[in-house]
Amino acid sequence: MRYAAFLLAKFVAAASLAAQQPRTIAIDARLAADAGLHVGDVVVLAAQPGEAGDTVRIAAITRPNADPSEVSHQEYRVRMHLDQLQSLTSYGDRVHRFAVQTNGGASTDRAVAAIDAAAFGFLAHRSRDVAVETSATFAVVSRFHRAIGVITVVASAIFLLCILLLKVDERRKDVAALRLSGISRATVVKSIVIEASVVALLGTIFGAGLGWVATAIVNAHYQGVYRTPLRFALITPQTIGFALVLSVVLGVAAGALAALRLARAHPLALLGRR
Amino acid sequence: MSEPLLRLENVERRYHMEGEDVRAVRGVSLAIDAGDYVAIVGPSGCGKSTLLNLLGAIDRPDAGRVLLDGRDVGSLSDREATELRLRRIGFVFQRFHLLAALNARENVELPMAEAGVAKRDRAERARELLAYVGLAGRERHRPPQLSGGEQQRVAIARALANRPALILADEPTGELDARTGAEVAALFQRLNDDGATLVVVTHDEELAAAAKRVIHMRDGVVVRDERSAAPSAAAGGR
Amino acid sequence: MIGRLVAAALLGRRTRTTLAIAGVAVSAALLLDMVMLSTGMSVSFRSLLLSRGFQLRVAPKGTLPFDTEATIPDATATIVALHESLDVEAVSPVLGGTIHIPGARGATSAVALGIDPRYQGDYELISGRNPGEGEIVANDALLEATGRSVGDTLTVAGGYDPQLRRFAGARRMTISGRAHFIYLARGQRAAAMPIASLQALGGPGRRDRVSLMMVRARQGADVEAVRSWIAKRLPRVTAISTETALAQVEERLSYFRQLAFILGSVSLVVGVLLVGTLVTVSVNERIGEFAVLRAIGVAKRTITAQIMLEGAVLMLAGAAFGLALGLVTARYLNTILSSFPGLPQGIDFFLFQPRAAWTALGLLAAAGVLAGAWPAWRGASLPVARTLREEAA
Repeated sequence: MRYAAFLLAKFVAAASLAAQQPRTIAIDARLAADAGLHVGDVVVLAAQPGEAGDTVRIAAITRPNADPSEVSHQEYRVRMHLDQLQSLTSYGDRVHRFAVQTNGGASTDRAVAAIDAAAFGFLAHRSRDVAVETSATFAVVSRFHRAIGVITVVASAIFLLCILLLKVDERRKDVAALRLSGISRATVVKSIVIEASVVALLGTIFGAGLGWVATAIVNAHYQGVYRTPLRFALITPQTIGFALVLSVVLGVAAGALAALRLARAHPLALLGRR
Repeated sequence: MSEPLLRLENVERRYHMEGEDVRAVRGVSLAIDAGDYVAIVGPSGCGKSTLLNLLGAIDRPDAGRVLLDGRDVGSLSDREATELRLRRIGFVFQRFHLLAALNARENVELPMAEAGVAKRDRAERARELLAYVGLAGRERHRPPQLSGGEQQRVAIARALANRPALILADEPTGELDARTGAEVAALFQRLNDDGATLVVVTHDEELAAAAKRVIHMRDGVVVRDERSAAPSAAAGGR
Repeated sequence: MIGRLVAAALLGRRTRTTLAIAGVAVSAALLLDMVMLSTGMSVSFRSLLLSRGFQLRVAPKGTLPFDTEATIPDATATIVALHESLDVEAVSPVLGGTIHIPGARGATSAVALGIDPRYQGDYELISGRNPGEGEIVANDALLEATGRSVGDTLTVAGGYDPQLRRFAGARRMTISGRAHFIYLARGQRAAAMPIASLQALGGPGRRDRVSLMMVRARQGADVEAVRSWIAKRLPRVTAISTETALAQVEERLSYFRQLAFILGSVSLVVGVLLVGTLVTVSVNERIGEFAVLRAIGVAKRTITAQIMLEGAVLMLAGAAFGLALGLVTARYLNTILSSFPGLPQGIDFFLFQPRAAWTALGLLAAAGVLAGAWPAWRGASLPVARTLREEAA
């Protein structure tokens, strides 16, 4: 009898202790760093400043998402059990949304149709469509970058043509001597074009290296500023390939234009004798 | 006896080329009087062009003195030497060296503009000079539109622009055919007849023959200095 | 004569001159655009914030105005507390929300602003009058979407119950005026009504609550001091001055300023390099000509001045074209960035400010001229005799 009472007392004590254990939450790394919080710390959560709120224990610290839409907001994120948040905010048995996982493909389409048909006032959205909608800001930034890119490519083309023209013009006497020695126009043009292409190619390789370094610096800087794992700049094989093709094409075109100008002139005119 | 216009006293000029010291002019001493017409002749590389550069304050001697109007040209600063060339010396080059982008009149005006002559005055004088050298009516033509002889005439007119005391010509007929060269030679003769002092470096025998005095150079030294039988110049000047 | 020589030198190589001017023009255009970008946002945002004379914004604690759905409770008491300061001239409370206007083809949603018509700073009336009890003003986008005009009456609902598919808090309201909403994005449908009307539409949960209060300090008051006073007096709100708001927006958009700085610097360097290279090559080609000029008595400084003037003409001509090109490209780029979702209509990213523009272009021109100085001096200073000899060879 006495042993049963002891066990009961222990049980009641344990139950009472369990009832007093704070519930756990997870906070994001930014909040942890700024507020000096660690796993195991006990804090009070309230919906409004000055309210009594709930005592909770920090069970985990989460890494921020590499989500571009969260980058500029710098919001702190706390994750807790749904019922606790509903109770804390007096929200009742309500949620903002459900995330639904399907088997993909046709089953997603069937799920969307079923939800829309069954639930009053509910609309199901594909995650992909939501992503497009929320990426509108970044679509604008992309367009802006592309426009700047086009402008710099046009500027580079003009600079390249100007410099090549100058450099080729500098060698007019050499070209005159070659032509007077019997070297054909075509050979002269070819050699200048090859030279221009090699310069363009070497420049591209150097530029790609510079771009890779710049990308690393940009990412390191902005990841530090915004405290996010998001990658802001990315060099892909396609980017390098495009840059390579473009600069070789521009180099060849600029070299050809400059060379043709020179090759068309009479050798004596190049020497100033005509 | 009046002071010579130009006097060289033991002038030396050396160049360092490919690890070797080349003495282009060695211990040359001579005097040139105002109104003289001197031809300097010699084989290629004998130092005649170098000597001309020293006379014209384009270059400085490494030893000795070059005196123009009693002034040691070698001791002048760059600015003073430039000023001297502008006002006291006129140059005529083998390759004319006219500015292709300027017309004949503008080429002749160039030294006057640098000397600060007013626009109207220099334009008038340029026309006079072009007429003097036989190019009246060609003032608007640019060098590519002129023959070699005509270009050289423009160059001569340019050399006369600021009424120089001395005219130096380096192979003035070197790029011209015989007939044109003869025309230029005749022009030089006329210049001298009108009182100009000329020193001409040349391979052209006809040009050398027209000179009153011929200085022969070889290996940087004057080997012969002889007066020709040509009649002396009348007074007057341009 | 120098002018004539410069013209001759530049016109004698038309292709090269044209390309050089084009290159400088593009550099100048890009530089101008980046100068405009670096200052445009903050200048236009500042003028937007101050357009109605309110220097301070009071928002729920720890938030920026309309950044979240949080509201300030006990709005009436808060306004009274704000007026305790002698430096506070006016307080404009604003409540944000969404209204739904049922129609034949479904409901039209719109942003709703509850305001105090006496002090409101959110819209400019185009026609009609400020709303009284039971009235709203609407913008063109809303009027067009609902097919209504000033004077018409419509049903306005504050909420929508998706379970019952019914609009909550619906009432009939009259359109008293047509307005342009200063802080809303282009095309965004919007209406404004007395704050009490919007609070009523929102139900009991919205009673005496506001999203934001705009505060106008009296003339000559220290705005920062007023802000500090508010922070002390009302610890449950956040007071944001125009400077703070600007700083926070600039921090969020700092990327554009950094981009502007980098691209601007690059275009300056490239423009200068281009002219420097051009002058150097031009000088190298003409050293014989310069030697002859020196031989016939033209001074070093004359030749140097001529060469530098050639560089200056290229830079100035390029800068002039660049100014025109820059304004065109800035307009295009501004159109792209102005399509940011939710961006107030009045914000321009690229703003032409004459002083900054002339400074930047002047810097480019001066740098370009200086870039030509060294090759010019070098070209004019070559030993005459040796150069003549080498050129003859």
